[in-house]
Parts: sequence; C-alpha cells; structure tokens
Amino acid sequence: MNTSGCGRGRIRLAVLACAAAVLVPGAALFHSSAAATEATPDTRSLDQDVQGLKKELIDLNRDLFRLEEELLYPASTQVAVFLSVNLGTFFALDSVQLRLDGKEVANYLYTDREVEALHRGGVQKLYLGNLKAGEHELVAVFTGKGPHDRDYRRGTSVSFEKSVGAKYVELRITDREASLQPEFTVRQWE
Amino acid sequence: MSRSRRHRLAVVVACCTVLACGARAADSAASAPDLPPPAKIDDLDYGDVLFHFFQDDYFEALVRLEASRDMARLGPHAADADLLSGGLYLSLGMHAEATTIFDRLLAGPVPRSVSDRAHFYLARIGYQRGYYAEAWRSLERIHGVLPGPLEAERRLLAANVLMAAERFGEAATLLERWSDDTGWSSYARFNLGVALVRSGDPARGRALLEVVGSMAPGDEEQRALRDRANLALGFTLLQQHDAESAVAALARVRLTGPFTNRALLGLGWAEADANRPERALVPWLELREGRVLDAAVQESFLAVPYAYATLASTGQAAEQYRLAVAAYGAESVRIDESITAIRSGGFLDAILEATPEGEGVGWLWQLQSAPDAPHTRYLYHLLASHEFHEGLRNYRDLRIMRGNLERWSGSLEVFDGMIEAREAAIADRLPRKARALEALDVDLLERRHAGLAARLAAVTRQRDVVALGTVEQARQWQHLERAEARVAALPPGDRRDALAERVRLLRGSVLWDLDAAYKLSLWKLKASLGETAAALDELRRRRDLVEAAAESAPRGTEGFADRVVELARRVKRLQPRIEAAAAAQERLLASLAIRELEAQKARLANYGMQAQFALAALYDGAVAEAAP
Repeated sequence: MNTSGCGRGRIRLAVLACAAAVLVPGAALFHSSAAATEATPDTRSLDQDVQGLKKELIDLNRDLFRLEEELLYPASTQVAVFLSVNLGTFFALDSVQLRLDGKEVANYLYTDREVEALHRGGVQKLYLGNLKAGEHELVAVFTGKGPHDRDYRRGTSVSFEKSVGAKYVELRITDREASLQPEFTVRQWE
Repeated sequence: MSRSRRHRLAVVVACCTVLACGARAADSAASAPDLPPPAKIDDLDYGDVLFHFFQDDYFEALVRLEASRDMARLGPHAADADLLSGGLYLSLGMHAEATTIFDRLLAGPVPRSVSDRAHFYLARIGYQRGYYAEAWRSLERIHGVLPGPLEAERRLLAANVLMAAERFGEAATLLERWSDDTGWSSYARFNLGVALVRSGDPARGRALLEVVGSMAPGDEEQRALRDRANLALGFTLLQQHDAESAVAALARVRLTGPFTNRALLGLGWAEADANRPERALVPWLELREGRVLDAAVQESFLAVPYAYATLASTGQAAEQYRLAVAAYGAESVRIDESITAIRSGGFLDAILEATPEGEGVGWLWQLQSAPDAPHTRYLYHLLASHEFHEGLRNYRDLRIMRGNLERWSGSLEVFDGMIEAREAAIADRLPRKARALEALDVDLLERRHAGLAARLAAVTRQRDVVALGTVEQARQWQHLERAEARVAALPPGDRRDALAERVRLLRGSVLWDLDAAYKLSLWKLKASLGETAAALDELRRRRDLVEAAAESAPRGTEGFADRVVELARRVKRLQPRIEAAAAAQERLLASLAIRELEAQKARLANYGMQAQFALAALYDGAVAEAAP
C-alpha cells in the first residue's frame, strides 16, 4: 500500500525527531548557562533591573530591621532569649514555654524544619522584649520526646541581673553522655 | 529537606523540563548555598541567621545577616558570614553581587576552608553564566576537600564544566573514579551518557545510560532520574534501529510520571519499528487519551492512523486521520483563546496562583493538571522555556517584594504613631518638670552654705570657742555675762569681790568646758559643711541631668522620626519601580508566551496538513484499488 511506504518514511523521520527532542535537551542541561546567555537583550536588561531592585530591597529591609529593633527594644531595656541545640540526640523538641518574672512571654511549637535547623547549628531568637534594670527570673519548660521515645517535660530557670546594656540569655539543649539523658542549661551573654 | 537533596531536586526539575518539553534546562535558577553544620557558634546573632538559612528562608537570613554586620555583631564569624552572604545573594539570583563578595573575600587573608568554598561558588556562577574556562580555573584553585555535600556537588560541577567544554574524555575519567552514596554521581553519569551519544560515541553513552536506567529505584528523585535515563536510552536505541532493546528500556519508564507520554510515544514507535503495529497501537491509543496540548499526545493523533494503515485497516485509518484534523483544529482554536486571554493581561498572576508551593520533584509536571482556563492551559509548556521560567521567577520575586514593602509600609505607620505618642508624653511631662525645677532654688541654698562657711572661718580664725558651744553652754555663758555686769554694778566691798570671784570661777569652768569641746565641735561642723557642699554638688548635678534629659528627649524621638520619614520615603520610591518592573516583566513574558503559542499553532497546522495529506493518499489508494 502506498500509504504504508509513505508512512514508513515518515516514521523514520518521526523517530529521529523524537530522538533529537530527547537528546538535544539533554545537552541543553549541560549548557543551561548558555541558555541563560541566549536570553534576549530585553530579558537581560530587565533581569539586571530586578537584581538592582532586589539589592535595594535587601538594604532597605536591613535598615528597617535595625530601626524596628532600636525603636521597640532599645539596648538599655532589651532582653533576648535564644535557644540552641548541641547534638540533642536524647531529646526530640516539641515545644518551649517561657516565663519571665512569672509571666508567660512565649509558648513556641516547633516544626520539623525548625528542629532540623536547630540541629544543624542554627540558634533561634525565641523571645525579644524589654525589662527594667534589676533582678529578674527566667523559667523555661521544654516538652518533647526523651530517651526511649517517652514523653519528656523538663524545666530550667535562671535569675539574672539586667544592667544598662542589652541582655542575651541562651537556653541550650545538650546531651549528658554519662546518664544518656538530655541536659538543659542556661548561659548568659552581655 | 537537606541541602543536597534540595539541589538534586533542582537538577531533577531541570531534567523534567528539558526532556518532557523539549526545551532548555532551567538549572541555573536559584542555586542554594550550602554550609556544613558549624562546630561551634560563638555568636548568637550569627546563629539566628543560620536558623533562617537552614530553613531555606534565604531572604530573611540575608536581611538579618546584613543587619548584624551593620551593627558589628558577627564577631568571630565574619569570614563565614561573608561567604554565606555571597551564597545567599547567589541563591536570590544576584550573580553580580555574589561575585563581588567572593572576589573581595578572596582578596584578603582567609582560611583555606573559606577560600575553597568561595572558589567553588565562583565556579558555579561561571558555569551558570557560560564562562566555562573561568569556572574550570576556579575549580582548579580548590585545594582541599569541601565539607559535607559540597564535595559531591563540586565533582558534579567539574564533570558538567568539562562536558560543557566538550572535554568528554576527561569527564568520563573523572566519573570513573567517582563512587558516592548520595546519588550525585548518577546525575553526572546520566549527563555524560547523553553527551557521549550526541558527540558520536553512542556505545559508551548507552553503557552509562544503561547503568543509570537500571539502578535500584530509591526515592522519587532517583526514580525520576531512572525514567529519564531509560527514555534517553530508548530513543537512542530506536535511532540505532535496535527496536527490541528500545522496547525494554522504554518499558522501564513508570506509567505515571513526567516522562510517561514521551515513553508511550517512543514505545509505540519501537513496536512499529519491530513490525508489530498492532502492539504499537496499545501505547499510542493510551497516549491519545491525554490532553492535546502535549506534544507527544499531538503526535499520537498521527501515529494511531499510521498503525491502522500499516495493518491495512484503511477505513479506521481514514477515520482516525479525520479525528486528528478535527483535534488539531480544535486545539488551534483553544490556542487562539489563550493568546487573547494573555493579551488581556493578568495571566502571570493566574499562573502563579496555579503554581504549587515549593519546588519539589515534578512540581513542573504537576502543572500539566493546571486549571483548563485560557490563561493557564499552556502553562506547563510555557514554563519549559528557560527564558520564560526565569522571567516568571523574577515576576514572583517582584510580587514577594511588593508584599514585603506593603508590610513595612504598615509598620512604619505604626512606628510613626509610637513616636508621636512618645513625644506627646514628653510634652505632657515637661511643664511638670519645669515647675519642679523652678521650685528648687539651688542658688539660695548655696548662698546659705557660703554664709555658714564664712562664719565658721571667722570662728576658727578668732578661736571663738563660745560660738561653738552647745545651746545650754550658750545660755550659761549669757547668764554669766549678765551676772558679771550686775556684780560690776555693785558697790565695792567684800561682797562684790566674793561674787566677782565666784563669777570668774564659773566663767573659767564654762570656758574650760567650751575649750575642751572646741576642737571636736569644729571638726564636726567642718565635716557637716563638707557633706552639705557635696549634697549641694549632687543636687546641682541632678538638676542639670533633669534639664538635659528634658532637652534631649525630644531630640531622641526626633532621631527616630527622621529615620522613619527617610525609610518611608525609600519605601515609596521603591514601590512604583517594583510595579513598573513587574509590568515590564509581564509584557515581556506575554510576548514570549504568545510567540511560543504561535509556534505551537504552526506545528499543529503542520500536523493537520500531514493528516490531510495522509488522508488524501488513503483516498487515492482506495480509488486506485477500486479502479478496474
């Protein structure tokens, strides 16, 4: 049949076209940067504009961030509470409750992503507020899973002196290897 | 999600894009920086930056990092922070800023670990921008082993740079020595396999693709890569007329995935090539049930009647060709609708609303099921274009920037209100302070203190012991003086003498007592006067402080007020520029989209013509057979 022969010719073309469609883009993967450089002048110009706008936005956000902190939390009254995890293999953190001078100031529930960020070395700024100079008491209650996947709830407290400068308090979750238990410590920074 | 995983996902997304849509890869988009877990964080603010960075919240991490740097809070992590900021700028698509930071970092004395990572990032930028020689030079300057998953990424980057420079042999040598358990080497082998096939060494290319296509299926991204390799292998084999092997490779592609349609199409061609048109119909008919906007589905409309014609089922073939002509025509009308919709504006917002959150495996593929509205119908195909993809990212970033400025605009209004309230409170307190200060006459007190000091000096000078006597002693002294006067007024005689003698004795006794107490009294008075002077000094200092505070308080809020005004002005200046850039981006992408859709229309018209030609040929054949 005529059509058969005609189709046979076409099928070869189609296969070649398909192969090219599959393989050529594969090469484009390696040359993706070339693809980027093939952008039209309009695209390049606009991309540069957007990069410039992004830089301005980041600088503006930096200045706004500073203004917010200095206006709302001046150093003379500022107190910040941070949370860090060092190893933390004996405790899976779920939440932290924070009380300052008997008043609850933070009750934070953690996502898996946040816990992972803590385990990788991130330090969370858990609370930022203002306190008058003098003696204060901070109480932190940690809940989560302890050794053997058991529910675990543990508190730690610290009395500290707030002076004229900003006060940083770090809550640390560490491993106590000797007893295979988590340990919750507090470190004060000036 | 781990950093390596995220980056590998980006590679998979790129693979999906290039393969399924036959367009350029988009892997030069956001390349996330990577960091190993630091051994010890010596600065809480830097730790806070990392907390956001490790959650892939790059913008927030960068803002906090820049603010901490501005406030000189980075302490011992300054070099790491520079490296991180470069990587963050890179991840936000800001190549120029990132390059400047890395170059500046490398110009100074930095530890080997930092310089190695800086060279790595520069190599990545060079590769993404097509500067392969520069990228290779940066890679050569890495002397140590990079931390964590960066080392595997460095190897992949090195292989990609070599392949981009068509140094396939060196790339192959590099890969032969590389065995890892992270999966990065599989991507490199796949890339090299395809490159070898293209460069005229199909045997080696096939072998590499076979390895990747036969690997044990692991997680979703590995399965996607496996599919991708089998698809490439299948079409390579098909091109080399090895239909049976092509069938085996294409059959390994999953039935649901980004590569399914292409695989079904190829499988049909492989079966047809093996003279099994009846078996070719199975994948082609399955494929034809898909959405016509897919290129593979469009081709299946021609392939199905071809198979029927091969099976000498002329009637069915003719019917299927007519169906194809109708489908192509209908699709062409739908493309026209989409072009009209795109020209009417707002189509990018519609696309972003249809775009799933995040960029996990196959997110692009998921867009195939985007709403069948004129705005979004061809979304998947449009995004396959690198230029469109990058432009859409920019537009999305501009939308986020607009939201960011709107939030700050609201905050600045609140700050302004706070400052006004503070100023009002200060204004309320000022008159009360003024009254209190007026009531306090420090000068009068000082004059009184000076008078007392002068009197004491005179007493000291004259050794006036009486002046320092107690109240009782002063009363006694006055009595004696009066008695002495009365005695002196008496007529001379024994009695007067006796009384005078007695007064003299008493006077001597009181004087003795006064003299005995004089030194102590003088010391006490001097001490008391000294304390009074100190108290007066303190009073004066406090008064000055209160006055200074009253004066400086309004100036303090004015400082904040000035900053709020200046920042609000910057926000207002930036907002219209972002709007203008977004509008320009939309216009540009609309023109790209329309160009792409016009090309699709042309392809459909071509397919339609082929179908009509084949139909005519069928009729001609039928007429010829019917002729006596």
